[in-house]
Amino acid sequence: MILSYQKRILLTAVIMLTALLLVMAALWLPPIKRDVKIMDALFVLDITDSMNVEDVSLNGDKVSRLEWAKEFTRRAFLDMPCGAHAGLAIFSEARSLILMNPVEVCASYNDLTRMLDEFDPHMAWARSSEVSKAVYTAIRQAKEIEPEPTIVFLTDGHESPPIHESLFPRFDGKPGDIQGVLVGIGGEDLLPIPKTNEAGEIEGVWDVNDVMHQDVYASLRADTTTNVPTKRTEHLSSQKKAHLKTLADRVGFEFLSSPRSPGKLVDAVRDVSVTRPQTIDYDLYLWLAGIALGLILLVYLPYGFFIRTDD
Amino acid sequence: MNFLGLEWFHPLFLFLLPVAVLPWLNHNLDKTVAWVELVPVDPWSRFISIGLKLLSSLAIATLILALAGPSVPEQTIERVGEGAEIVLLLDRSRSMDDPFAVKHQAAAVSVGGDNSKRRVARDYLTEFIKNRPDDRFGFVFFSTKSVNLLPLTYDKEAILATINANALGKGLSDTNMADALLSSAQMFEGQAYRGSRIVLLVSDGGQLLSDEAKEEITRLYKEMNLGIYWIYLKSNQAMTLEESDEDSMLWVDIPERKLHNFFKSIGVPYRAFEAGSLEAFAEALAEIDRQHYQTLIVEETLPHEPKTDVLLWLTLLAMLLLAASHLYTFWGVKKAHE
Repeated sequence: MILSYQKRILLTAVIMLTALLLVMAALWLPPIKRDVKIMDALFVLDITDSMNVEDVSLNGDKVSRLEWAKEFTRRAFLDMPCGAHAGLAIFSEARSLILMNPVEVCASYNDLTRMLDEFDPHMAWARSSEVSKAVYTAIRQAKEIEPEPTIVFLTDGHESPPIHESLFPRFDGKPGDIQGVLVGIGGEDLLPIPKTNEAGEIEGVWDVNDVMHQDVYASLRADTTTNVPTKRTEHLSSQKKAHLKTLADRVGFEFLSSPRSPGKLVDAVRDVSVTRPQTIDYDLYLWLAGIALGLILLVYLPYGFFIRTDD
Repeated sequence: MNFLGLEWFHPLFLFLLPVAVLPWLNHNLDKTVAWVELVPVDPWSRFISIGLKLLSSLAIATLILALAGPSVPEQTIERVGEGAEIVLLLDRSRSMDDPFAVKHQAAAVSVGGDNSKRRVARDYLTEFIKNRPDDRFGFVFFSTKSVNLLPLTYDKEAILATINANALGKGLSDTNMADALLSSAQMFEGQAYRGSRIVLLVSDGGQLLSDEAKEEITRLYKEMNLGIYWIYLKSNQAMTLEESDEDSMLWVDIPERKLHNFFKSIGVPYRAFEAGSLEAFAEALAEIDRQHYQTLIVEETLPHEPKTDVLLWLTLLAMLLLAASHLYTFWGVKKAHE
């Protein structure tokens, strides 16, 4: 298409005028109201010994599961929309301990991450790791928080002492009362678990004879269907996907195994959460200025390379 | 992202900046003339032509910069306020689940109810903190091993959320007071001295401290210039921290009194409040509230300040001139063709 000189001049004038109006609109148009969906989430981080196993990668480095969980949680805060709330809790022994009730994730980002930085194996107050009971306590305590948060439970699913499938700890609540996502962390291979001492420093690894290999109650039974000798591998740890799936079904949670991006987790949390709408001011300037730029560039794009203009 | 000392919300737009040279490279609006010599040399039009190109480049560049969303980053400024820097040390032991200030034995059996010591402490501290706008608060995780869970912060929402969380669930079976006291002092390590520093201990019991711990605490508290306030939630109304003539034999060597005597001996500002009732608890906090309005250097964070509008104003100016010149050109060309 070849445009005559006169038409080109006319078009340019029209475009410039439109762009001018758009820039004016970008400056002076008041922000419009828009609803975003926000949620409250309580992040529970497993800080038991098995979380010290270094079998996950972060930015290409092998790091411990706990390091990964901390960094992942931090990035998830960033991916949550402003207005959403996030709280922090740790799990050790057989319970979740809430350390900060949900706070607005943008305004309190600094304090959330400073607290998250402090999470460390030496905060553990006992050396056992009863994941399912900890999930239950998290649910019980979430009910005391107003509004009830969605639980994001980051764990490798390693139960110590081990539990037998038929002797699963009883869940008193109703599945789905509190929504939640179980995030499975850790690799596929069974690896030795670093052992922490009283002061929380790592001292060697758990030995095969340091831990129980069978459910305490199952081992007492004469019934050979439940009391079968198992492989003695409870001193080693991998991500217990099947167990976490069972646990998630039991309490009505979603199970996400090693999610690739925090965005995926935040999406999952939003999907399961009872979100509430929050009206925010949305400034249209980005769109208006973008269109104005596009229009101005139309005038100056080097058409000469593609078409000849002769007059 | 930071660039040129500014924060950019959509930094990727900055990669578009080179297109600002386009007005200098193209000839979309040139008029082909049969013989160049026919066009008279006119310094004015050369000047105007360069000026228009400059304006176009300016309009494009400022639009791109505006799209990238620059803002002056958050800034902390210091101002003089009145208040204190307070580290909260809330006992998390099991006994704090017991009801507070009950009159008779029957009521004392309900554990972890709404009137448990931990919840009462939460309610009163919440009020206290809300009334003190300039204070900076820190929170120590009080367990077998203490952790400076929430380093000193001005964010009231964060500290209140931490105190609220502290009231949930059951107490911990094992708490280490010496470690918690040391940990509280460490909160101030490497911090500039801004004004009165307080460790506010709320507990219903004392613990025996080892000699090493005592030495270390004495040293640190003196070095850091810390004052100690202890709100002691009494379970026995008659017992006092100070020895008296009416003492029961049972009270002579209890850990509470030893802790009280130790605090008195280390030579830092110290005051104990013995709260046997809700009124006494409230009065203790009111007293601390009254005493601590000393001059304090307060850090205040100024939020980002978007600078997009400045750029859009520049674009607007450039566009006004450009649009006017193009309209004029159009008018001129139309005239010429008539």
